[in-house]
Amino acid sequence: MAIVKMEKMHLLALKSEQSKLMQTLQKTGIVEVIDITGDKKEEEKQGHKEDRIRDEIAKELAELETKLNNLKLGIDFLKPYSKSPNPLIYGKPDVKKDELSKILSNETKIAESLQRVFDLDKKIAQLKSEESKILNQIDFLIPWQGLDIPLEQLGNTDRTAFVAVVIPRKSKDKLEEKAKESQLPLDIKVIGEKRDDLYALIVYHRGCNEDVQSLFKEFSVTIQDFMGLKGTPNDIIEQSKRRLNDIQKEREDIKTQAQGMNQDLFNFEVLYDYYMVEKDRKTNTLKLFDTDKSFYLQAWLPKERKSYITDTISKITDMVYVEFTEPEENDDIPVLLSNSKLVEPFEVITELYSLPDPRGIDPNPYMAPFYWLFFGMMLSDAGYGIILSLFTAVALLKFKLEGSGRKFVSMFFLCGISTIIWGAIFGGWFGDLIKIKPLWINPLDNPMSVLILSFILGIIQIFTGIILNGYKNIRAGNTADAIMDQGLWLVLLTGLLMFAIQPLAGIAKYVALFGAIGLILTQGRAQKNPIMKLASGVMSLYSVTGYLSDLLSYSRLLALGLTTGVIATVINTMAKTVGGSAIGFVVMILILLGGHVFNILINILGAYVHSSRLQYIEFFSKFYDSGGRAFDPLRIKTTYVKLEDL
Amino acid sequence: MTLTFGQIIALMGAALAVALPGIGSARGVGLVGESASGLITEDPSKFGQSLILQAIPGTQGIYGFLAGFLTIQKIGLLSGNLVDITPLQGWLIFASCMPIALVGFLSAIYQGRVSAAAIGIISKRPEEVAKGITFAAMVETYAVLSLLATILMLFGISI
Repeated sequence: MAIVKMEKMHLLALKSEQSKLMQTLQKTGIVEVIDITGDKKEEEKQGHKEDRIRDEIAKELAELETKLNNLKLGIDFLKPYSKSPNPLIYGKPDVKKDELSKILSNETKIAESLQRVFDLDKKIAQLKSEESKILNQIDFLIPWQGLDIPLEQLGNTDRTAFVAVVIPRKSKDKLEEKAKESQLPLDIKVIGEKRDDLYALIVYHRGCNEDVQSLFKEFSVTIQDFMGLKGTPNDIIEQSKRRLNDIQKEREDIKTQAQGMNQDLFNFEVLYDYYMVEKDRKTNTLKLFDTDKSFYLQAWLPKERKSYITDTISKITDMVYVEFTEPEENDDIPVLLSNSKLVEPFEVITELYSLPDPRGIDPNPYMAPFYWLFFGMMLSDAGYGIILSLFTAVALLKFKLEGSGRKFVSMFFLCGISTIIWGAIFGGWFGDLIKIKPLWINPLDNPMSVLILSFILGIIQIFTGIILNGYKNIRAGNTADAIMDQGLWLVLLTGLLMFAIQPLAGIAKYVALFGAIGLILTQGRAQKNPIMKLASGVMSLYSVTGYLSDLLSYSRLLALGLTTGVIATVINTMAKTVGGSAIGFVVMILILLGGHVFNILINILGAYVHSSRLQYIEFFSKFYDSGGRAFDPLRIKTTYVKLEDL
Repeated sequence: MTLTFGQIIALMGAALAVALPGIGSARGVGLVGESASGLITEDPSKFGQSLILQAIPGTQGIYGFLAGFLTIQKIGLLSGNLVDITPLQGWLIFASCMPIALVGFLSAIYQGRVSAAAIGIISKRPEEVAKGITFAAMVETYAVLSLLATILMLFGISI
């Protein structure tokens, strides 16, 4: 339990066996290779040969990267068309060794289908640009639909000119008047209109071309250029629409093609994961330090797996030297947590805050019971607890959840059970929908008792935090500090608390006084000057306010519990008022369903947020050293499929 | 039905307890929604996380509603037979509604601002969203405390 002890592995072996060894280590999945090239840079620069090898690996890595990128593009293209089951829910499919080697031997064929996917992708892009072009054209031609002359016939005849023009609506009448006044042989035929413009065909005698042109300029008439389009606008639009239909059909065709490529998608995914694993291994190989014929590897591994690793390596080769050392003072030790089945789900709460310092203590075993209690007390409705546990249990059993997702769901399952217990204690079953007598009291009848219970739970958690801090001091060999800092504070706080309990109030004074005087005398011990010693001793007592506010913060246990219960009651009351008729009954059921679903969701959020907060702010602040780095071993890390027997 | 002065004062307290935190929560939730929409245009997959942040400043409205409900229940409005309340009792009920009315109103807005800023955490470092939620929860403390004060005061008044 707690933080797994790490040791550093030093491995010296032959270069010729490097890739074999790296593969083996990757398969064990429990060693994290340390990058030691950083501090050996100078030496490395002297040997050209290693540079060459390094360059080779770097080149291979670049090639892998291209392959991975291409595969990723292929996968991303095909994914939306495929109906493969969601791996988050159903787990990743297992790929056996022979299946993998079959896929690997077919690589050229797979590359071809990848090319086909790229072609499809390109085709879709082309269709899209063509479609938008056609749509623009249709848009442009719609006002000209009334024109029944093929566009290519517009222009000049022997004597006359036919032009299609756009005239601002307000100047059309003036234009006509002016043309009449100056007796120009000109005729305007309005064909269509759009917003402030009129679309018209103008016929005039070519002899007065210049006059007409200046008239156009005066009334800002623009001559429409049809950019070589042929046929009447109506025909062109018809054609375009037919083409649009074809495009749609081609799209459907591509879609069916893509849907038919399920097997290819699977192949891409397998290859992607396979190369990803290879890339991981190669990247880690770059972290080693090597000479001509040998290489040196440093790695972290959990202490208890030492013999397993030496066994595995000795099965591969005996030309190897392995040594284990304890971490040194400044080493950046990765953190791996190991907790019992019941505590493990709650690790996710700590992980969201920050992992523990590798040299500190794992807070999870101490935090989990409090989190569990607080969550239940804030949700505090047995009915809601049953629903929460039921849903999460189904999710756990039916879906193959992994990693922190699984932890989260298991945590809510456990918290649901806590909620059922608290709900029974407070008599909340969907608010007051099902009337069952509370095992203890209904917080609405007697909020003070529940408030006191909240404070008692808070006191227990705060004391646990202080004791853990003292334990940390003792473990570090500072027993005196533990007694003077945490011990005396515990005495003072206990004394203050005893004031609240009548029969003990008499001696409370002395206990508190003893603690306070002790603190005044000891808290300034870091200061040299005796006056400063006393001053900082007295000042330290000010921290009492901190403890008080921490304690008051636990009143949220009551407040959030009340919220759930009262809102559930409100929903029930509202539902009851509409009942009676048949329609009323339906509405009542709808209100009950919708209302309680809303209440469950909003209060689960509240319970999650606020019990996390109580851990982060009130509990962790007492003792927790955060800032660890997660253990990230070299392992077979895949995205789409499982490659167990690689 | 004739209303006494005390009843009117008590009802005004209940109305304010529902209305002010409701306005505040609407502001707060709205603020977060605006920032979240900006994020979603860039990365729609962050919807779930953003929604959680948006829900956080919504609780004050619920607290206010809760306080208002308890108040009208206390004066018997729900059951239909309004209890006779003296002006003094009316003012007492009014006063007990004030903590959640005022603190709920303002804390929801401030919490909305914290949550809106936390949307930035989701966009840049989504794995750290829990810290943003914690920052927002710090503001909520005072709303919870004032709700508690309101409830305790309300239960303490005998009518």
